[in-house]
Amino acid sequence: MSEANSKTTVAAEALDRLDLSGCAAAIADGSLTSEAITAAVLARIEARNSALGAMLHVDADGAISRARDIDARRQRGETLGPLGGVPLTIKDMISVVGMPLTAASRILSGYRPPYDATVVARLRAAGAVLVGKTNQDEFAMGSANETSAMGPARNPWAIDRVPGGSSGGSAVAVASGMGFGSLGTDTGGSIRLPASFCGVVGLKPTYGRVSRYGVVAYASSLDQVGPFGRSVADVARLLAVIAGRCDRDSTSADQPVADYHASLAQDVAGLRVGVPREYLADADGLDATIKKRIETTCELLADRGATIVQIRLPHTRQSIAAYYLIATAEASANLARYDGVRFGHRTSTGGALDGLYERSRGEGFGVEVKRRILLGTFALSSGYYDAWYDKACRVRRLIHDDFLAALQQCDVLIGPTSPVPPWKLGEMTDDPVATYLMDVFTTGANLAGLPALCVPLQPADDGLPVGLQLIGRHFDEATLLRVGHVCNRENGAHLLRPPAPEVVP
Amino acid sequence: MSSSERDAGTAGAPLIDGRHVRAVARLARIRLDEDEMQLLERDLARILGYFEELQAVDTSDVEPMVHATGGPTPMRADEVAPGLGVVAAVANGPAVQDGAFVVPKVIGGA
Repeated sequence: MSEANSKTTVAAEALDRLDLSGCAAAIADGSLTSEAITAAVLARIEARNSALGAMLHVDADGAISRARDIDARRQRGETLGPLGGVPLTIKDMISVVGMPLTAASRILSGYRPPYDATVVARLRAAGAVLVGKTNQDEFAMGSANETSAMGPARNPWAIDRVPGGSSGGSAVAVASGMGFGSLGTDTGGSIRLPASFCGVVGLKPTYGRVSRYGVVAYASSLDQVGPFGRSVADVARLLAVIAGRCDRDSTSADQPVADYHASLAQDVAGLRVGVPREYLADADGLDATIKKRIETTCELLADRGATIVQIRLPHTRQSIAAYYLIATAEASANLARYDGVRFGHRTSTGGALDGLYERSRGEGFGVEVKRRILLGTFALSSGYYDAWYDKACRVRRLIHDDFLAALQQCDVLIGPTSPVPPWKLGEMTDDPVATYLMDVFTTGANLAGLPALCVPLQPADDGLPVGLQLIGRHFDEATLLRVGHVCNRENGAHLLRPPAPEVVP
Repeated sequence: MSSSERDAGTAGAPLIDGRHVRAVARLARIRLDEDEMQLLERDLARILGYFEELQAVDTSDVEPMVHATGGPTPMRADEVAPGLGVVAAVANGPAVQDGAFVVPKVIGGA
């Protein structure tokens, strides 16, 4: 076997064995080159993406040239950054210079961002190799990655099932070895739900923890950027790179960034872990296996010295309505910018300016985006504002206060991410309300601005992933990572890899 | 009963109908075909029907929460900083001329 071939074999094997931290360490000590592992990632995308639909854009040449540059730096004796040479992917909501950005919408076809998002600039500065852009629901509006104008992504554990959304492509990519980590966005569960469905780790940081400069806005009082990884340790490493104040985002918080890596070394002894009745004992329609896995995890944490506390979140049910009214109201304003004038799709039919707006938007937006813009416009419109938008904002306050009261009685909340396992493609597309109900456990953290982490538990008997959700105090990502890391260590579910998909269905 | 409660559609009146959907689509500057109009009318009525459960929550003493964080928006010094520049700023425009976006004539008729 030639040297080049043996390097390729080593890299292909490393792709499934290593996590992000292991990959960075292997590149730093010279046992693996960034070029070889990047080539292995590109080969994996080539082999699996037609079946999985995870990637919307792949920058093979750019990634290889960047990887060679990192390898050359190492050979010169330079110290690489914490992500030195590691291939990553980015959700298509986030601006990356040199790659198109579509937000999985026809209305942004042809758009090329003229600047990097702050999070992307930080990944580059840390040495990351950016491989491409991941599939998602159109404008992040969906829970299953089925509203993408470029076609759905599919669950790598069961190709006829959804990967969760909206950041479905990012979760599929991380689970399938198309890179060692990814960035997504989470407005009502869009990082945690796909992480849960694909068996990877996903973190929605505290509102304001991570800059949103250069990120497509959906609902500005809820949106947050966050990392996906194979392990909690990987997510901690990515968060350490992207967290912190940004002068170009006035909502980014001027709060110290904790040493997330150090928090992984702590055990859970002495921690108070709160179990909301509404998330487990009293949860309507909660899948029996998911419930059992969460209960087992509570027992495990208690065995390791944590105290389990029963708590209440009495407005859990109402969080869905409050979330969808507020998110769509904000979306109706944010998406006003897609007007066919400055970028993106413009209608080819003639007419006056209003007609140009109406036709460009009518042709460019998909039906779920139209549904949400109309709902939000209605909730804000004269005569209906008090009954819908204002009412939702008042209920939001109650939900926020419920969480703060609960987090005075405990250090972290524990529960499921999704009430059900991944469903089959097309199963719910005709019933928007049924899909919205799947966000019952995830929207609360966005409404209250709290950090929330999804960690894989032991899969169900049919092999489908099961996700745990941890919700913490504002800016206390460290405690979530600490508990999540114990879960990783004890159940080992994050080490499982999906098989290669056999055929394109 | 506050005016808001009356607006929410008591006495069995539909929460949203075709006339509303047309008006809202016009406000949002989105052209819909007839099929979409019917689909969205049905969906929005269903969605609002479910969301009506919010009306049962007593919020009379509750301040609306419109921001995720408290406190004022921070101010920065008003200093000139480098921008994108005209070429990059208009590079994505579907119709551009002399560094400006071209739109249909809006004054004096077409």
